[in-house]
Amino acid sequence: MTCEELKPEYGAYALGIAEGEEKYEIAAHLASQCVECVAGVRSAMSTVAAMSGAVEMVDPPARLRRRVLAMVAPVSDSWMPAWVPWAVSGVMAVGLLGVVLVPTLLQRPQATSKLEQALSILNDPVTRDVSFGEPAARGRVFVSKNKGVVFIAANLPKLAAGRTFQLWVIPTQGNPISAGTFRGETDSSAVYVRPGPIADVAAMALTMEPEGGSPQPTMTPFVVTKL
Amino acid sequence: MLIPWLILALELSGEHDKELARRLQRREPGAMDDLYKKYGKLAYSIIFAVVRDTGVAEDLAQETFLRVWTRIQAFEAGRGALGPWLLAIARNRAIDHVRSSGARMGRGTVELDSNAHPSLFVDLDRQIFDKDHAKVVRAAIAKLGDNQREVIRLAYYEGLSQTEMADKLGQPLGTVKTWVRSALKVLRAELGQEAAA
Ligand SMILES: [Zn+2]
Repeated sequence: MTCEELKPEYGAYALGIAEGEEKYEIAAHLASQCVECVAGVRSAMSTVAAMSGAVEMVDPPARLRRRVLAMVAPVSDSWMPAWVPWAVSGVMAVGLLGVVLVPTLLQRPQATSKLEQALSILNDPVTRDVSFGEPAARGRVFVSKNKGVVFIAANLPKLAAGRTFQLWVIPTQGNPISAGTFRGETDSSAVYVRPGPIADVAAMALTMEPEGGSPQPTMTPFVVTKL
Repeated sequence: MLIPWLILALELSGEHDKELARRLQRREPGAMDDLYKKYGKLAYSIIFAVVRDTGVAEDLAQETFLRVWTRIQAFEAGRGALGPWLLAIARNRAIDHVRSSGARMGRGTVELDSNAHPSLFVDLDRQIFDKDHAKVVRAAIAKLGDNQREVIRLAYYEGLSQTEMADKLGQPLGTVKTWVRSALKVLRAELGQEAAA
């Protein structure tokens, strides 16, 4: 896209409604520091920000403030390093799911390293972040091509005995590549972290496989999230 | 004689946010509370206007503050516009929520926050969000034609893409794009007058 072609799209981009290819092209073009387009988009962002003035004001529940502060409050538990509260909150970036999942994470002895890995992926500025929903399960995937994948889900189907969930990287070309197996929690939720670089991801998929995992999926995935 | 006071208020708000951003970066106690006091209600209101569900709005507002907290180091405290950045994140969370729920799910999900990258908020006007500002914005929106107002509403509150609006309104994509563009132009002109007044 040339600057001239981009110019009419500044507004849609600032409104967050630019589509598909175009959106990526604009983001890439802006990342190239084009002075004119960055200025144009900023001006549009400024207009969109100003529009918040027309929004009808609603009082949030008082507990919202406590929830926000609790995310960043220092904790006294001696075993817990200082960064844990906001790391936990990082995982809570999944919103609705956070309430269920954070306690789950903290119960585990390996929780802190898992959180640390998850956090480094969540904090990577290039991490892509995609939600998925009904019918099979709902949740969110964060993919950083340098740092790895965080997969968070609730409402997963029940695993039959001797079966496991297996996460797959679907590359733009070629067969799915296993991103590891996990069992999830008794409440049908799961937080799975697969650290390490990931090349060339077009989508992530989830299947149920025999214990230990399969070299290739043996069923149609019940979750597929395009990235 | 109102004008110097308005300018002063704007500057103070900007200075306050610069310092607030630095305090957040230093992880100072109380910084998050100040951020919440300043923008909590507005962020929540923006999210609620889109998702129309108090429980969801609460979760997404929490998520918004969290995202600011985890990304604040990438924010240029001296030059960035903290308020607009936070509100863009809030709106993205809300739009993402409505886009990824229900029937619209299957059609490819939207990458979040590419339009909320901290670098885009450098040297942006720092808005002051008060009652007068609301009046000015409402007046600006009232200047829009019906079609312009409708596409802005669909974009801002429902997060519809221009293709989706074209489908919904039974209009060619080019027409919808023209409406969106001209609507923003009107708003910019109207709101720009305020800043320049
Ligand atoms: Zn350009």
